[in-house]
Amino acid sequence: MMPCNESFVLEPGRIPDLEAWLVRNGADAFLSSPGFAGETRCLCGLEPLDELVVREDTAREQLKGFAFSGPGPCLGFLSYDYGMLLRGIGTQKQSGFPLGHLRKYALLVEHDCVSGAVSVSGRDSEQVRRTARILSEPGPQRHPGFFPDLGQPVASMDRPSYEHGVRGTLERIRQGWTYQLNLSTRLGWACDCAAHDPAELFLALHASHGAPFYAHFSSGQYRILSTSPELFVRVRNGRVLSRPIKGTLAVPGERVYSVADVDPELVRALTESEKECAELSMIVDLMRNDISANCEYGSVRVENHRSVFVVDNLLQMHADVRGTLCAGRDCLDLFLDAFPGGSVTGCPKASSMRIIDELEPHARGMFCGSLVIIEDERTMDSSIAIRTAVADTKGGTLDYWAGSGIVIDSCPAREYRETMAKAAKFFGAAAKRGSA
Amino acid sequence: MRILLIDNNDSFTRNLEHLLVRAVRQACADVRVDVLGHSSMPRKFDSWDMIVISPGPGAPRDYAGYGAVMDSGLPVLGVCLGMQIINVHFGGSVDRLADCVHGKTDTIRYNDRTMSVARYHSLYCSTVGKGLRVAAANDAGVPMIVAHESRPVMGMQFHPESFLTEHGEYFIHDALQRIVRS
Repeated sequence: MMPCNESFVLEPGRIPDLEAWLVRNGADAFLSSPGFAGETRCLCGLEPLDELVVREDTAREQLKGFAFSGPGPCLGFLSYDYGMLLRGIGTQKQSGFPLGHLRKYALLVEHDCVSGAVSVSGRDSEQVRRTARILSEPGPQRHPGFFPDLGQPVASMDRPSYEHGVRGTLERIRQGWTYQLNLSTRLGWACDCAAHDPAELFLALHASHGAPFYAHFSSGQYRILSTSPELFVRVRNGRVLSRPIKGTLAVPGERVYSVADVDPELVRALTESEKECAELSMIVDLMRNDISANCEYGSVRVENHRSVFVVDNLLQMHADVRGTLCAGRDCLDLFLDAFPGGSVTGCPKASSMRIIDELEPHARGMFCGSLVIIEDERTMDSSIAIRTAVADTKGGTLDYWAGSGIVIDSCPAREYRETMAKAAKFFGAAAKRGSA
Repeated sequence: MRILLIDNNDSFTRNLEHLLVRAVRQACADVRVDVLGHSSMPRKFDSWDMIVISPGPGAPRDYAGYGAVMDSGLPVLGVCLGMQIINVHFGGSVDRLADCVHGKTDTIRYNDRTMSVARYHSLYCSTVGKGLRVAAANDAGVPMIVAHESRPVMGMQFHPESFLTEHGEYFIHDALQRIVRS
């Protein structure tokens, strides 16, 4: 706990104004949206006190030493490329993107979107009071994020090369090297970040496309904009939850916000699809495997298998994998032994990651990494950084990645369509002038 | 009981470890499972009572060095790729399955019981090695359990450690009965 704390309550309708103020003032912002499976806390860090930029030689003990040095939580990310190092997967691809970045803050703002409760905490009582006053005073109404048209992106794998990659994956499945593999393409836009503020794109998306794991995080010249719906691992007092998502079906027509609004036949088409269920089951077995390395014998179990929720007008199937952290192990042991998430590698994990590196022409960098909130040794929350963009403010680019899980029943054309459906949120926001 | 679980490249090995501990604890009081990677396989096996060969990506030809395991005289249980490794060691062959199956269930009949089991395999034992007999197959005739007629060696093509397998512990108890106590 931070030593000083000020609490107040806002009209819930003013929470977007508070979030916009925080993001526009450079906060590292972890924003959840209410009502989703995996819904989590909204926590923003201001005034960084200390940081750890992860390098190839950063040892596990250094990560722990930084993350667990109280008081106050640590916010940050670890990239997929760091996961490749952890799993011993070599690559020739060069990426300037950091392997990971963790921060501690002088000021933290936590808020609840439903009740409007806001808490400001920090080490300096005057700073805490001042910030609480600014945030609680009526300010200008938030205007929707404005993000000008960027035009069409350039894909690292266009339709023919993506479909070729799917066929290459299918052959490796027949050979026995993978059962399921997540294949992605990178979509890149030229983007003058002075004229196109990534924070505005983030706010526009957050206002219009709720999801449980939004995050806006700055790392050097890069701005990470994550709109992820997927929980990776959560640990609360040693109780572990992972919630892999696999199985996707686009909902045609009007925007829908809950499964109750979707034609039951469509839901049934997803939950009774042999292919989609096999995709989920494989990743459930992989997540069981990955958390088992640090969970007590007999504690790992599967609940709510083949549950469905709606995000971004997509039906998504998921399951809950639970366990109990072993005595003497901490949440970073669990995280690092399970990272990157199985739903974005495929399985077996290491073998699939080698094939991904061979088939994909781009580095994944932040994509399929994780954004994390680490409270202490036995409490953390982490997402899987899918539906995530990275703006390079020096290089003048905005990159976004999208992919899908390839299994033996996959049809190359259909997988490409599914991949583009997942990209539609960013396509829409970045291609429309004045998105809201 | 001390079990050596040889990990063939990170494929559901921890699930198997947890299942072994759970099942063996039900059968006898004390169990320890040591997980060692294939590349650090020991030459001597005096420290263990049983060896389990894990599933894994690729084919038996990608995993050399199992001769010493088979010749150790210890009970050996192979799962998925592990069963295929056993089969090739005894002269059988492993080929591509016409319709490979991953993350799906199938039913097998074994010991007069019909049970649902999880399958994850692109390859299968197309001819069975010398001394091995097929103890269970699926409806299409794909070998699902093989057992050696005179040695304490057994293989399971399906994954008893998967959450999709109905009675995972049953298969481990059966293996303990057949190969450890034989």
